[in-house]
Amino acid sequence: MRSIDDFSRPLEYLTPLGEQVGEIIREWVEKEVIPYRRDFDEDYLEHRLILPPFRKLLGEYGIQRILFPEDLGGWGLGHSDYLSVAAFRMFEEIARADSGMAVAFGVVFWPLVLICCEPHVNRRLCEEFAPMFTGTREPVFSCMAMTEPQGGSDIENVEILKGSTIRTTAVQDGDEWVINGHKLWPTNTGGVADLMAVVCTTDPGSRDVNDIAIIFVPCHLPGVTQSSAYEKAGMAADKNGDIWFENVRVPLWYRACGPGDDARFYGEVVSLGNMGSIAFMTGVMLNVYEKVREFTSRNTYRGLPLKENDAVAGVLADFAATIEALRILGYQCARMCDRHDLYGPRWSPEVMAKARAHRYFAADRTLEAMGRVMNLMESFGADREWDVEKHWRDVKMVQLWLGGKQLSQMEVARWFYECETL
Amino acid sequence: MPDFQACHPIAGSEGFYEKGYRMNDLGLFPYPRGRLQKADLDLAAELQSLVDKEIVEKRLELKEDYERLLKPAFVRLMVEMGLQKMFWPEDLGGEGHNEPGVAFTVMAALEQIACADVGLAFLAAHSFALQAALAGNGNLKREACERFAPLFCADGAPVIVSFLLPVFTEEESGATWRGKGLQVTARAAPAGWKLHGKCVRPTCSGADADLFGAWCAVEGEGQQAFILVPGDARGLARGPEFRKTGLAASRNADIDLAGVELAAAHCVFREEQEYRRLLSWYYLGLAACGVGALLASYRILKEWGDNRVIKATGNIFKENPLTGALMGEIAKEIAVDRLLAYDLAEMLAEPDTYGDAGCEGVFTAALIVVHHVLSSADYAIHRIMELMASAGYAKEWQLERYWRDVKTVQCYLGAYELAKHDFARWFYGARTL
Ligand SMILES: Cc1cc2nc3c(=O)[nH]c(=O)nc-3n(C[C@H](O)[C@H](O)[C@H](O)COP(=O)(O)OP(=O)(O)OC[C@H]3O[C@@H](n4cnc5c(N)ncnc54)[C@H](O)[C@@H]3O)c2cc1C
Repeated sequence: MRSIDDFSRPLEYLTPLGEQVGEIIREWVEKEVIPYRRDFDEDYLEHRLILPPFRKLLGEYGIQRILFPEDLGGWGLGHSDYLSVAAFRMFEEIARADSGMAVAFGVVFWPLVLICCEPHVNRRLCEEFAPMFTGTREPVFSCMAMTEPQGGSDIENVEILKGSTIRTTAVQDGDEWVINGHKLWPTNTGGVADLMAVVCTTDPGSRDVNDIAIIFVPCHLPGVTQSSAYEKAGMAADKNGDIWFENVRVPLWYRACGPGDDARFYGEVVSLGNMGSIAFMTGVMLNVYEKVREFTSRNTYRGLPLKENDAVAGVLADFAATIEALRILGYQCARMCDRHDLYGPRWSPEVMAKARAHRYFAADRTLEAMGRVMNLMESFGADREWDVEKHWRDVKMVQLWLGGKQLSQMEVARWFYECETL
Repeated sequence: MPDFQACHPIAGSEGFYEKGYRMNDLGLFPYPRGRLQKADLDLAAELQSLVDKEIVEKRLELKEDYERLLKPAFVRLMVEMGLQKMFWPEDLGGEGHNEPGVAFTVMAALEQIACADVGLAFLAAHSFALQAALAGNGNLKREACERFAPLFCADGAPVIVSFLLPVFTEEESGATWRGKGLQVTARAAPAGWKLHGKCVRPTCSGADADLFGAWCAVEGEGQQAFILVPGDARGLARGPEFRKTGLAASRNADIDLAGVELAAAHCVFREEQEYRRLLSWYYLGLAACGVGALLASYRILKEWGDNRVIKATGNIFKENPLTGALMGEIAKEIAVDRLLAYDLAEMLAEPDTYGDAGCEGVFTAALIVVHHVLSSADYAIHRIMELMASAGYAKEWQLERYWRDVKTVQCYLGAYELAKHDFARWFYGARTL
């Protein structure tokens, strides 16, 4: 019988490590996640069901250490040129079970990219934080704190606004930064994260990108306060809340890359975030394919399995075609993020704009395709037992974060049409 | 409830605004004001203040709490406001508001209720559809009214109505209607009917319904029968409530009917046209649910657009050319959907012009309208959520509830792909679809 493995992937891009970990993750989701995921929504505050599988994957299997250099107990993936392609496979496998978990997982590595990846490895910070991730069998979570109450998109709109809207401040006091401000929504907040990277300004209102600072803050420090998790339409496995910073002190060298470079390499956070988002979507689509296939094979219409009706088959074909296209697109996006030698650096405006284009295109197609098959399943499409509705609720968020669609459109237009005032 | 017997259409130019009815911002979206009676407008205004007080104001605290928020609100609407008495004959305790023009009343009432809670409007739509099918003027079924009106008209408890309509089934044989399997079989028994059905999926409230309208295949006849099954009938067993995307007011559960015996009078109709009539009214109700959800979502977006600032330029959201254009498009969807839904009410209100609600042409039009409205509501609310980003996704901002509710109504309405066959049958004379 044909399965999700019959959808195309660009085989020439795949890597042994990604495939091997992908297989491990597939087994893990089948045993540890899929049987429990229907109850995740009700577990959004406590994560009683969500934390144990993470303990196994991140802590016991040790996947949380993959980015760190080998001599620091990591797997050295930060030095590879296949990080994104390998990540794509992992994200897809997790999202097939639960895209909220995939996000929470992906964000463990998101800020670490800034210090673990070539060409901007920050050896001192790697040495500082590696033990946190490698010296335990408990899961360790990170978070990338960008969004503020007045708007997430503006902060991401670095090219135009150049950090001028950031209100979280980092003021130098001797050999320490003193951080004050309020962030909201970051993945793995609500008390989950152990370490965060905080996007700050060293001079409020400044349009000088040298004043954009990304500073690592261990969450246990005095002055860091977190709210409990917000209640959302879906994505219960990702906790999001407020974080308040009140005179939080960290050493000066906790700054990720330094003046100018923080803003520059922030682009990489954007590109990888968009790439990962496509993987979350294809993972979801693959599982929905499995569910819809089962539904339309088991249920009948005019005496035949539903899938044998030409009109229904048309919708099913569109769904499969969407997966085919998005998966190729997603892997290509990952490849672009990996191969600076071929495509330019992943923090460049070009790769950023293209990754945004790929992501919002993929999100629009995903939501459209999922909405159609959900409706095709009639009342069962809205029924938790079939899992499709959960994926539909969860995956909507993948379209909304990272500045949402409109900001993405502006960046894409700016790059491809050389617009100057958007 | 206002006095519908003594009412008259209001002059075309006098809308809610001019008359001082509390239609406020929602009056911006056009609807055929001149076709509504003063009593319709009074009812809509009354409903609006009721749902504002009973639902909207309590929503943040009570969220989607069935026992504390939704059930008491349903009692207020159906019993205290008397909506469940609307069509039934006056001599049986009803309001006797059963002229075809009641379609406008249904539309105006349901959009107000849906604006506060789509699930409650969805339940009320079931009640109205059944009332229209049994007590609508021109096709009033006196015996059925005598038997069932008292249930609705005795002051006290609300009657939750649910339907057991044809669905996709796992059985390859068995009776079907337009390709979908009938979930319940009825056998003629000496005293009436004996009903069987396993794991039957109701359209709503399987866990709570007081009366199920079962669309049955009659054994040995190849015919169908619409039989009303009281929720407490012997042999009816309810499964556990299952979790679903939205419509918290409808606590649904699959049910089993194991030889449920009912008197002959529980079969309230058998003709094809009568099923279609029931469905046409049901579709009007569901279209109103979509419109109500849109109007509520508009309010949420309006507040966002008035206050959010992007691009740090001090420009409020609605003044940005891109987001402002999308907001414009959303308003267009709402305006067109509302007009369309009221057009359907017009068709049901004017059987002499368009044909009976049960004729194939009106049925097809109703199906087109409801699919269009719900898919457009789904589209528009998706766009609103995108404009509001995380706020749209957070429960606190309320939008996501309308998003889930509309999608759930759309799913329960049925597969659009197959509805298109109904359109093709009517417009092109396709025979085998
Ligand atoms: C599950 C989840 C996970 C998240 N994870 C993180 C995380 O890890 N880290 C983090 O910092 N945040 C995170 N967020 C927050 C998210 O990234 C932001 O909500 C998002 O970036 C949008 O910001 P906003 O909500 O403030 O909306 P706004 O910035 O107010 O945007 C609202 C709308 O305006 C549009 N818009 C904005 N700017 C422009 C412009 N210049 N031109 C035209 N249109 C524009 C946007 O596209 C959007 O449609 C997460 C949110 C959720 C729900």
